[in-house]
Amino acid sequence: MPLLPALLFTIVITQVPFLFSIWYSLTDWKIVPPTPREFTGLENYTSGYSNPFFLDAVGTTLAMTVTTVLLSVVVGTVLALLLDRDFPGRGVVRTLLITPFLIMPVVAGLVWKNQMFSSVFGVFSWLLETLGFQAIPFVERWPLWSIIVVLVWQWSPFMMLIVLAGLQSQPTDILEAARVDGASSRGIFAQITLPLLRPYLELGILLGSIYIIQVFDHVEVITGGGPGSTNVPYFVFQRSIGGGWDFGQASAYAIIVVIASIIIATFALRLLSGLLEGHEVA
Amino acid sequence: MAEVRYRDATRIYPGADEPAVDRLNLDIADREFLVLVGPSGSGKSTALRMLAGLEAVDQGSIRIGDRDVTLVPPKDRDVAMVFQNYALYPHMTVAQNMGFALKQRGVSREERARRVVEAARILELEAHLDRKPRSLSGGQRQRVAMGRAIVRHPQVFLMDEPLSNLDAKLRVQTRAELADLQARLGVTTVYVTHDQVEAMTMGHRVAVLDRGVMQQVDKPRTLYRLPANLFVASFIGSPAMNLIPSSHDGRSLAFGSGRCAVDPVVATQMARFEATDVVLGVRPQGLALGTGGTPAEVVVVEELGSETFVFVELEHLGKTIRVRVRVDAEYSVARGDRTHVTVQGPVHVFGPDGLRLQTRSEADHGGST
Amino acid sequence: MTTTHRERVLTGETVWGTLTLGLTAWFVAAVFFFPVFWMVLNGFKEEADANASPRLFFEPTLDRFREVTTQTPGLLGFSEAFLNSFWVVAVSTVLVLALAIPAAYALSVRPVRRWRDVLFFFISTKFLPIVAAILPLWIIARDLGILNSHLVLIILYTAMNLPLAVWMLRSFFSEVPRELIEAAEIDGTGLWGQITQVMLPIVTPGIAATALLCVVFAWNEFFLAVQLNPVDASTVPIWVTSNVSTRGNFLAKLSAASSLAVLPVVLAGWLAQKRMIRGLTMGAIK
Repeated sequence: MPLLPALLFTIVITQVPFLFSIWYSLTDWKIVPPTPREFTGLENYTSGYSNPFFLDAVGTTLAMTVTTVLLSVVVGTVLALLLDRDFPGRGVVRTLLITPFLIMPVVAGLVWKNQMFSSVFGVFSWLLETLGFQAIPFVERWPLWSIIVVLVWQWSPFMMLIVLAGLQSQPTDILEAARVDGASSRGIFAQITLPLLRPYLELGILLGSIYIIQVFDHVEVITGGGPGSTNVPYFVFQRSIGGGWDFGQASAYAIIVVIASIIIATFALRLLSGLLEGHEVA
Repeated sequence: MAEVRYRDATRIYPGADEPAVDRLNLDIADREFLVLVGPSGSGKSTALRMLAGLEAVDQGSIRIGDRDVTLVPPKDRDVAMVFQNYALYPHMTVAQNMGFALKQRGVSREERARRVVEAARILELEAHLDRKPRSLSGGQRQRVAMGRAIVRHPQVFLMDEPLSNLDAKLRVQTRAELADLQARLGVTTVYVTHDQVEAMTMGHRVAVLDRGVMQQVDKPRTLYRLPANLFVASFIGSPAMNLIPSSHDGRSLAFGSGRCAVDPVVATQMARFEATDVVLGVRPQGLALGTGGTPAEVVVVEELGSETFVFVELEHLGKTIRVRVRVDAEYSVARGDRTHVTVQGPVHVFGPDGLRLQTRSEADHGGST
Repeated sequence: MTTTHRERVLTGETVWGTLTLGLTAWFVAAVFFFPVFWMVLNGFKEEADANASPRLFFEPTLDRFREVTTQTPGLLGFSEAFLNSFWVVAVSTVLVLALAIPAAYALSVRPVRRWRDVLFFFISTKFLPIVAAILPLWIIARDLGILNSHLVLIILYTAMNLPLAVWMLRSFFSEVPRELIEAAEIDGTGLWGQITQVMLPIVTPGIAATALLCVVFAWNEFFLAVQLNPVDASTVPIWVTSNVSTRGNFLAKLSAASSLAVLPVVLAGWLAQKRMIRGLTMGAIK
């Protein structure tokens, strides 16, 4: 069966570590200070669940994911609409626009932090000063939003390409029928283009969420988990190999995240299932 | 070269209640051109794909020659197939497409080239052998698909609506070429189409299917003249036969304000049915316009140039019905004209089970064959 | 195709409207591209020019590129990092394809029963936060003695990209008309022949696009690389961050390093932009 190698590989690499995590999460395993490992049952969960820092991280993750995905979809759709027409240099414009998506996240974070946001030599502050305002240390003042801006910068191009594929797959006879039926450009967009784009927007939201919910690199290089910008991945990292070394507790957080992810994923996959059903019908 | 034999062959798609093909029994002679015809969903394509090995045979069996192929995979059946969309390999040239099956069978390079060139000559494709399918016209692609089947020298040709993607004119032309080619090559051929004109013009015999059940298999002429039941009567013949629910008195049938007599043998059978349980069937050629008969009003005139079909409305058993009448091209008629209709040609009578009542001579000849 | 005046009249567009929207598109593209442009520009500056009020005109120099590509003993070098990345990315991408192609075939051409559930399973693994698995992964890798090796990254990058690759390849495979496979079957090919002689040549562009996306994600991956490979098999992203220094000015140098680091993937992405998205969207929709 040709499916087996891929399936086995995925199960071993992605599922086995979680079984280990579950075991760790039931112990009080710490490396610093080194203590003998003991079984503690659900203690890590009860303490972890009520940890305000953890709850903050959950809130940050949700805010970061939802804001980034929505903004990226909106910006990406606008970009796609701009590109869905003929003008000189369209290919070049599209090439310039997709570049951010290809940039290494670590590089994106560092470039924005040091050369755009910086209050000393940053382009933004220079712009503000040129216009007669005060320079602003963006990252220090708005850590979460700084990260979101970079994420939107990277993910809008991705959304743009998906929406563009959707726009270009519109059957022209439907658009022509609408025009013959007397619909205005605005009417055509609202009543025909948008509904036809819906599956593409859903796909963009789904894929975007999968990746953005896991963002680590940007947090690491832009704020290093500065106030209000620690999302769950970064939080778990800090509590374990990132300096906390409380493996038992960190594993419990991880498991909570996994459970939450499964719940979110169930909803997302229902969306996906809708997409696949559509595929069957057409 | 081989005969093909379907024996109670049945295909039930997983999850379906009704069989797609229900106990098909069909013998196809060596060198015969047999056409499977029917509306969409009639199971004609499924029956063909069962023969190809692309669909499982859930019950019954299929034989090619003296070999039972029911459980033989497609590649070992020695059949060649022409698909509706041609299914040409887009990454191969015309020559590679045509030689692919031979290559799979380990035929030597020289032999392959020889047979490809030979088929290309027959199909007038020699100039295109090095081109990819995408640069060919629809008609050329169709011929490549044919060529791919020809080079194989298979036991059976299978064709699944191979002309349906051609425009009307090319289709008529290719139809004749294909029939000629089949006769020259003398390879048993099973041909699927939904177009009854195609079926009638090409097939040595035609099998009519409806909802998975074979209705009748006969020579085209017999199908036309002696349809076995209402379905075949309505499906075969263009334009279609007029089928009019009627009433009988044991000797004749009501038509409009008059009656038309039927064959005495038919009348005896008819007498067994309720008076209103019969259907009168008469082709447009069997009706005539004139001064006598049932008063009627002309509603539509279809002039074909060589002949004209006229729809008229008339009173029949207390209802207004519409029938189609063939008239000569010279006959002058217009919408709104008042005229009269008489029955002149052969009349068919269908019983409540939909079957056509047979005359003595047919019965003597052993049914409808 | 350029729209003619008559077409514009028919669609109700004005020349001014077209011009304005075209200019807007150019402007937005410039804004989006600016950080990249600025990064490259800074790579050609002296540190003094980079660490100053932003300026467009300066005396360009290649010194920073020379600096970052020169090997300093004991530190992670440019060539070492690129070579590490190259091997990890190349091998993992080949592995992904080797695993994903048969799987995608089984999910599209001859769908196994419950193929939807299988596809869901693959996609659902992408929802599991990697950070939650890093601890056991680290410990397992250490116990197997593959920590700080290419192998551990190769394995994990393969697992990371496999779901996406299966998803995309399934899309491309589903686009191949069923009739073609049936024709090949009747022409006498077995399963292996159908895949290698008919399927793969037709979907080559799709496979290339899938491979490219895997390369992008693997090349840019930082978290696993930094957690599992801090010493012996460090990849390009780690090399980039090693140019951030707490002492002295580093902006120009970091810019030069960053430009080099993103170059391969950006170039590849530019070349394959259209296909990439077709692969992502086609199978899911339609």
